[in-house]
Amino acid sequence: MATRNRTPLFRKHRDALKNVRVPTISSSSHSSSGSSVGMAIELPNNSILHSNRSYVPLSTEDPGSSRGAATVGLPPAWVDVSEEITENMQRARTKMAELVKAHAKALMPSFGDGKEDQRMIEDLTQEITDLLKRSEKKLMKLSASGPSKDSNVRKNVQRSLATDLQSLSMELRKKQSAYLKRLRQQKEGQDGVDLEMNLNDKFKPKVEDDDFMDMGFNEHQMAKVKKNEAFTVEREREIAQVVESVNELAQIMKDLSVLVIDQGTIVDRIDYNIQNVAATVEEGYKQLQKAERTQRKGGMVMCATVLVIMCFIMLVLLILKEIFL
Amino acid sequence: MVLVSAVRDYINRMLQDISGMKVLLLDSYTVSVVSVAYSQSELLQKEVFLVELIGSKSKESMSHLKAVFFLRPTTENIQYLRRQLASPRFAEYHLFFSNILNDTQIHILADSDEQEVVKQVQEFYADFVAIDPYHFTLNVQSNHIYMLPVVMDPSSLQNYCDCVVDGIAAVFLALKRRPVIRYQRTSDVAKRIAQETANLMYQKETGLFDFRRAEISPLLLVVDRRDDPITPLLNQWTYQAMVHELIGIQDNKVDLRSIGKISKDQQEVVLSSEQDVFFKSNMYENFGDLGMNIKRMVDEFQQVAKSNQNIQTIEDMAKFVDNYPEYRKMQGNVSKHVTMVTEMSKIVEERKLMLVSQTEQDLACNGGQVATFEAVTNFLNDESVSDIDCLRLVMLYALRFEKENPLQIMQLFNKLSSRSSKYKPGLVQFLLKQAGVDKRTGDLYGNRDLLNIARNMARGLKGIENVYTQHQPLLFQTMENLTKGRLRDVDYPFVGNHFQQGRPQDVVIFVVGGTTYEEARAVALQNATNSGIRFILGGSVVLNSKRFLKDLEEAQRIVRSSTNAI
Repeated sequence: MATRNRTPLFRKHRDALKNVRVPTISSSSHSSSGSSVGMAIELPNNSILHSNRSYVPLSTEDPGSSRGAATVGLPPAWVDVSEEITENMQRARTKMAELVKAHAKALMPSFGDGKEDQRMIEDLTQEITDLLKRSEKKLMKLSASGPSKDSNVRKNVQRSLATDLQSLSMELRKKQSAYLKRLRQQKEGQDGVDLEMNLNDKFKPKVEDDDFMDMGFNEHQMAKVKKNEAFTVEREREIAQVVESVNELAQIMKDLSVLVIDQGTIVDRIDYNIQNVAATVEEGYKQLQKAERTQRKGGMVMCATVLVIMCFIMLVLLILKEIFL
Repeated sequence: MVLVSAVRDYINRMLQDISGMKVLLLDSYTVSVVSVAYSQSELLQKEVFLVELIGSKSKESMSHLKAVFFLRPTTENIQYLRRQLASPRFAEYHLFFSNILNDTQIHILADSDEQEVVKQVQEFYADFVAIDPYHFTLNVQSNHIYMLPVVMDPSSLQNYCDCVVDGIAAVFLALKRRPVIRYQRTSDVAKRIAQETANLMYQKETGLFDFRRAEISPLLLVVDRRDDPITPLLNQWTYQAMVHELIGIQDNKVDLRSIGKISKDQQEVVLSSEQDVFFKSNMYENFGDLGMNIKRMVDEFQQVAKSNQNIQTIEDMAKFVDNYPEYRKMQGNVSKHVTMVTEMSKIVEERKLMLVSQTEQDLACNGGQVATFEAVTNFLNDESVSDIDCLRLVMLYALRFEKENPLQIMQLFNKLSSRSSKYKPGLVQFLLKQAGVDKRTGDLYGNRDLLNIARNMARGLKGIENVYTQHQPLLFQTMENLTKGRLRDVDYPFVGNHFQQGRPQDVVIFVVGGTTYEEARAVALQNATNSGIRFILGGSVVLNSKRFLKDLEEAQRIVRSSTNAI
């Protein structure tokens, strides 16, 4: 794994040559291009919410512009969209961390009824699902048509974001289903305990006083049962909600799976992709040529026929005019 | 894992320090280097959103992207970069070269970088195509040149040698070692390559190769393909080798378009031991065992498919969606291997390869002269045996009984040329001239000294497990000799005064003229035995019989035309 850095040598040569070249080219252009580059390097470091993934425009000033060229190196509009998506995903990620904490808290046995926890979980889940859905919609906007290199870049950006998005929603789904499972377990456990309690309660009066035997539950027991029922209904609702959001995520997953590359397949090969691009570009070029040819041919032929027909008509008119007048 | 992971590390290091969106630009060779080790989705993870071949005529300016060039330091590439730098398309230029840059090249680049867009210039020595963990190839173009004598075409032979020397140097730089070098005595080209490599490592770039390691230096052994001409002529019966022999593998890719109609997503498939677990465990299995394993895999897959079918509860559904990507991957994999094996068994049936191969193996290993002569004549009379198989049989016979019975060989020649018009007369003679018994160093048939004869007899007594895979390449013997420290200095001399002290731990065997997958298998199996020596096999190309015969033909054509001219 040896490497050799030849940059210092390169710089030395370049600087040496620059000194030679200075009289011919105005030195100001050099300094300006140098500073713009410096800016471009610093830019990604301070203006980003998220440090590991940055789609920040590199430099708004093209070094070429100092030479008087008209091109300004503003990134295309889709870069902003991709940025928004990453931002959304980053937010979703932080929310996810909160959600995990909330899940843990909700599952902990507590003396309160845990309503607040529940609401918080619901809100968070809703928010995350929203964020993911929004990102997905934006992602669809990224797609472009046409065989140009730029559309290729866009497709690849889309792919990469889709892969991220997929893994994110997968993670969310796993977390949710784990939570769901624990919730169910708890519920079952609780029911079991309650049942036992009821049975015990029922047993006790049987033994102690037979008079109350056919009176069924006493009021205290009834209240307990009612409370339990209410609790169960509440839980049921929660479960339904989680299931719903799981389904929503499944939809997102389905849409994304079209975009995501399967690893280990030919689509994942770099050389295959290059060949493919070259082939499509060539194909597109051929089609264009063909179209041009047919178009030109069609137009010319049409024009010629019309002219010939007109000539004939005029000739006939002329003859008629000669004969009758 | 050595070679592949070295290339992967290089690419990782190339890409991780540059933040933001990137374009990767490769030349036609580094495309292979990168694509066998890295995948598109991994590139996307590194925020490389466009991969381009240099030389494609795109003029679009993309100043929101940073360009990462990974190129060979060839003159054309430097010229290309010069034009690029004169009117930059990208925001930044990060130049990585796969081999040693010389001073003038850096000077040229510095001279053309008027706008100071180049951010770094580095040498990352990934200048070899790491197809398997212990097997690399250099994909040298016009591989036939090694067979020509020096006087015939000095400049292209020089190119060939430079190419090979660069590749070998890159392998050792990637391993961070400086080897002692041995070569096969009877081969001029092996000697030349060994000496040029030594010159590069010990004189020209001695600073670069000085890794200050106290351990025993590794060994580089340069051998010539012509020392073992039978291995590339045999039919193969282990999975990887067989695919290459019958269909053809190029950079771990198999192109199935040429054989019949196949569904669209299976036209080109990847056979990589890194990405495909099934292939990894079966690449060295013989055809029979492979069939069994594939059947097992299909059964397993059916089980999974069945369990996916009965979805009744929401939980089942959730589980299915969770497992779906895995399921799809499995499906693709199963159909890939099934297609391949079906196609191969079709070819085997068509060309009667079972029968042909048995005689081939007899010729390569046992050599009962009378019986094999009869068998070969029968095949020559049989119309349904393909021409290429006949040619190979005659070649094998001629190599085996070159000295014993020239008359019979002549008979076979005549039969061969009367049988097919496509056969270029004199090809077998050319092979004998190139790789005959006088040219060879190694004991190819194990009949030169008493020890080897005895060993052969012992093997015959023990009995053979599988008739079709009984042949052991000469390389196996060489490796055994190396492990036991018995490789003779007379036959495989050292270059310069750098001798081996003690037993080497790493041995790179480079075969000038190309390796075969059978040899790669021998190396992999040898490495699996933990003998304390790690072998790495490399060659200028990866041969199958078709490629070997094509090289022979090409060389013969050049030799003949030049002798005619004189």
